[in-house]
Amino acid sequence: MTGANLTSTVLEFDDESEIAEEYLRRGWTDGLPITPPTPDRVRACLAVGGRSPSDIVGTEPTKGRVITAEKVAVNTVMAGCLPEYFPVVVTAVEAMCAPEFNLHAITASTMGAAVLTVVSGPIAKELEINSGVGVFGPGHRANSTIGRAIRLIIINATGSASGEIDKATLGHPGKFSWCMAEADEVSPWPPMHVDRGFDAGDSTVSIFAGLSGTQVANHHAQAPEEILVSFRDAMFAVGPTQKELIAVLCPEHIGNIRAAGWSKSQVQQFLFETSQRSDADWRAAGEVVPASPDGSSRMVPVASEPDNVTILVAGGAAGAFSSIIPLWGGGAGSQSVTKRIQ
Amino acid sequence: MVLGTKLGVLDPTVQPIPAHAVVAERPTTLDGKVVGLLANGKMNSEELLAAVSDVLADSYSFRTVVTRNKGNASRPCPAPIIEEMAKECDVIITASGD
Repeated sequence: MTGANLTSTVLEFDDESEIAEEYLRRGWTDGLPITPPTPDRVRACLAVGGRSPSDIVGTEPTKGRVITAEKVAVNTVMAGCLPEYFPVVVTAVEAMCAPEFNLHAITASTMGAAVLTVVSGPIAKELEINSGVGVFGPGHRANSTIGRAIRLIIINATGSASGEIDKATLGHPGKFSWCMAEADEVSPWPPMHVDRGFDAGDSTVSIFAGLSGTQVANHHAQAPEEILVSFRDAMFAVGPTQKELIAVLCPEHIGNIRAAGWSKSQVQQFLFETSQRSDADWRAAGEVVPASPDGSSRMVPVASEPDNVTILVAGGAAGAFSSIIPLWGGGAGSQSVTKRIQ
Repeated sequence: MVLGTKLGVLDPTVQPIPAHAVVAERPTTLDGKVVGLLANGKMNSEELLAAVSDVLADSYSFRTVVTRNKGNASRPCPAPIIEEMAKECDVIITASGD
């Protein structure tokens, strides 16, 4: 069987009930009970992924810690994943180790980012990764446990435990688990991974250093311009000159935008053009925006460029509730990364 | 894995890389030394370092002071700055302002 030669230290217990308590005591969990990572369960993950235990999945760029397939599998089991989820977690780790994601900073910073994981392509349906009702909430095993596995790897493989390396002032609940798929069946547009140059038939994992989202409610409007002003208002809270931020459009909102025939780029252009304030207004809102040398007023956008707004379509069929999700460091200090699942 | 009556489970952690770096020799005095001040790019980091330098200057006569700012607190210091300061400075003081 693949994964015959596991090298992690084996801890021995008389009773299974002692395991979760001891892992909690050692700081190896997120504060919740874990599934005991027995060698057989770890081997089952490695077998699905076709990985040997010693395969290097990635090296954390700042601290240099080498993350093997075995350690990814141990944490995947602990999170409660089915073995079939393992390739998604592996790909997320590969993406997190890309230097441009700046993993150490986003998991150490007081800003308190989570890793928002978006799974695209056929595997999302195969693994039943929720893109619909309560997309950011509980009740969907793949979403809950894949996101949790990623957090446990951050804690255990990179050392970013809360209060140690992780100095988040507030953080947010997405740091427990934050994994979603796009609702391709209700979206009028190509999915995000196709925008990023992948084939529709590719399965990919995208990661974002996501801060807490702002809910965007608009129940009365039907014209895109009238719906999107609510997004504009939420974007103002994110701050000026963002290199990337996310707009999650719910099915009710997207239904009206689809009926009006708008393209994704039209939505991005509208949000870019309308979410602008004068430099003086930004300063009055507490933002550091330099004045022009000659003192003249200038308009400063939330998103530096229209396509800095990454559009995702997700959520339940009922309810006109979307979301604006800011990214760590204004989307500049950490770039989102998309990788194909091998 | 059942070991006799025991249940075996695996350690999920990756240990920090052991430090193989050699610690530079510490000077016994700052008199006549080139002192580097490396700010981390956050607000007040330069002011903090200037204050530290002023306090030390009451007790020592530096040969000179080299000040640099790595520019972005959230990124590692650019290699050219590290190489330059390592070459020029006898000691480097860094600070995290905010």
